[in-house]
Amino acid sequence: MNPHEDALLSVHELAKAYGSVQAVKDVSFFVRRGSVFTLLGPNGAGKTTTLEILEGIRPADAGTIELFGERTQHISSDLKQRMGVLLQDSNFEPYLKVREVVALFASFFRRSLPVDEILEKVSLTEKAGALVRTLSGGQKQRLAVGVALINDPELVFLDEPTTGLDPQARRNLWRIFQTLQYAGKTLILTTHYMEEAEVLSNHVCIMDHGAIIAEGSPAELAEALGQATIIEFRAEELPAEAGEDLARRFPDLKRRRRSIILNTRDFTGGMEELLRWSREHAFLLHNLNVRQPNLEDVFLSLTGRRLRE
Amino acid sequence: MSALCYLGFTGLLTALRERVTLFWTLLFPVLLFVLLSSIFGQVGEQGALRLNVAFVNLDRGADTGFAMAVETLFESLSVEGEDGRPPVFTLHRPVSDADPRRFLEDEQRALAYGRRAAVVVVPEGFSQEIGGALRRPGELAGKLHVHYSQGVPSSELAAGVIDQMLAELDRALLAQAGRFDEDLAVRTAIQWAGSEGHNVGYIDFLLPGVVLMAFFTTGLFGVPGAILYARDQRILRRYWVTPLSIPRYLAGFGLTILGMCVLQLTVLWPLGRFALGARVSFAAAWPAAYLALAAVTFLSFGFLVASLAKTANAGQAIANIINMPMLFLSGVFFPVADLPSVLQAMVYANPLTYLVDGLRTSLGVGAGQFAPWLTLAVPLGWISVSAVVTSRRLHWDVGR
Ligand SMILES: Nc1ncnc2c1ncn2[C@@H]1O[C@H](COP(=O)(O)OP(=O)(O)O)[C@@H](O)[C@H]1O
Ligand SMILES: [Mg+2]
Repeated sequence: MNPHEDALLSVHELAKAYGSVQAVKDVSFFVRRGSVFTLLGPNGAGKTTTLEILEGIRPADAGTIELFGERTQHISSDLKQRMGVLLQDSNFEPYLKVREVVALFASFFRRSLPVDEILEKVSLTEKAGALVRTLSGGQKQRLAVGVALINDPELVFLDEPTTGLDPQARRNLWRIFQTLQYAGKTLILTTHYMEEAEVLSNHVCIMDHGAIIAEGSPAELAEALGQATIIEFRAEELPAEAGEDLARRFPDLKRRRRSIILNTRDFTGGMEELLRWSREHAFLLHNLNVRQPNLEDVFLSLTGRRLRE
Repeated sequence: MSALCYLGFTGLLTALRERVTLFWTLLFPVLLFVLLSSIFGQVGEQGALRLNVAFVNLDRGADTGFAMAVETLFESLSVEGEDGRPPVFTLHRPVSDADPRRFLEDEQRALAYGRRAAVVVVPEGFSQEIGGALRRPGELAGKLHVHYSQGVPSSELAAGVIDQMLAELDRALLAQAGRFDEDLAVRTAIQWAGSEGHNVGYIDFLLPGVVLMAFFTTGLFGVPGAILYARDQRILRRYWVTPLSIPRYLAGFGLTILGMCVLQLTVLWPLGRFALGARVSFAAAWPAAYLALAAVTFLSFGFLVASLAKTANAGQAIANIINMPMLFLSGVFFPVADLPSVLQAMVYANPLTYLVDGLRTSLGVGAGQFAPWLTLAVPLGWISVSAVVTSRRLHWDVGR
């Protein structure tokens, strides 16, 4: 049986260069119907470029796309009837009212939901008569989400939907996205917040320098690090000698600007070793933090860098 | 509502909610119209042209008959004629006991400030000189001094009228001296332009000009202002991820501009007609056709400017730079004449020149400097050039 049978979208060896910058190189993945698929990666990883190709506003240099069971190079307006898009940074006419913007976009589609229903869904009913220019960042983003849903799309692209928003606004949007998932929609999300990827996604592709470097469910990815435990502590003024000794005891130690991250499979043994080291060098363990690995650690162990630096 | 209508409608809403756009597209044409008509058109006199002319008689000799005759002639043109002909001049003369030389100085200053179209001076000894000249054939007759401001339309106009009056006077004098056979001469009289036998005032000349100026502003500033702004702000990009196509967006935008022009006409025409006394009517096939052609020409001209600009700000800057020269080198406000050849070339390349000429001719308020086909062909030429340049050069999204 074809493993991609329930794929709503599959992408094969997609590539795109801007001059000498290879923004996307040989990216392949498939997205299951009804799932939340996430491209996780730092700024400049090529997430937006990948999405823009799939949204039909940027031509790819190479690769094939199969969308809604149709193999295509060019995203036709028929395909666009079935997708909803939240662009990374786009705006609406500042002198239109919220209701007018939603109604305007509704007129572009053959089939659309009632404007009031959309406003309700993104909690903008009270702001229906407000000019776009008077909205806050969070309200603007909710409007953009509402507009992306106006045609009741099967597939929704969400390019960094919560970047720059405060935690409250972020959680509000997460709730909307979860409702969409329950309604059976397929979501393609990009983010550089690992928490967002963990909370929302079924399937995560970690992207770096234009390529996918790992993929799986958030749990699968974390498991790939083994049954490891992460031990992290502050080490701003670590004497060189103590550092070298620690590296000898923990060969896969990662040094950050402010902290040291240890990855150990044997938690008890690892902790004992660390405490011994601390005593021998008279180095106090500040902000000692012990936890299970998350996507951030996966990214760190794959690239040696943190997601957001 | 269809996407087309909705785009057109929301575009209009956006324009009307923005104060700057509202000012330049509606308020400014209205202000300019009222201003120009009150300066040159003498509001309140059915829009007929009336020129402020000062008349000073310095002839104080024993025999001042000829000077009096000239004064009477000017007087007769400053009152309504028996045939209902409106007065041509508003005459300013010194009150009886005033010092005429002082008065003359004041009036010359008024001329310099543009408050007088001309100052006519009958010099001392004028009547005697004429009397002498009539007796001695071949000699130069007495000279009347006419001061006017070269290049100022009302002043030029006054000078022209006075010139004709004096020619008439000349002929009358010659006939009196027996050296001119009036029956053999072709009679000339002051002839007014206009096709239906009515007097064409400056308002009737001005109204089509102001309407075209308003349309021009809408196209020239509206296109770069709205489209480049929307592109640079990634408002357009959001449209391109929907089924909306560029041609459909364009058609909607065209509707916005058209709606704006209709709005401008519905403000300016009644204002001209009911408040300022204009008599022209746009509600006829040819004037309407010229207005539609003008709207489309300026729309495409706006796209040409947008294609040549990288950003919305650059587009506004280009529009600002070419706006005034194009308006003034077109005859929208005043007839253009006697320009250096470089500027003349600009007049003849300017689509406004032809549109305003064609529109005025179709309204019966212009003599028609150009052949009718030319007034259609030149704007159509500009439309095609703009269409080609736009389709090749205008970018519909940023960063591509
Ligand atoms: N229009 C463009 N022109 C040139 N380079 C671009 C353009 N857009 C993106 N890039 C470059 O391509 C790479 C990927 O960018 P992008 O797809 O926006 O990444 P992400 O969305 O993951 O932050 C970056 O190095 C970026 O600088
Ligand atoms: Mg991005």
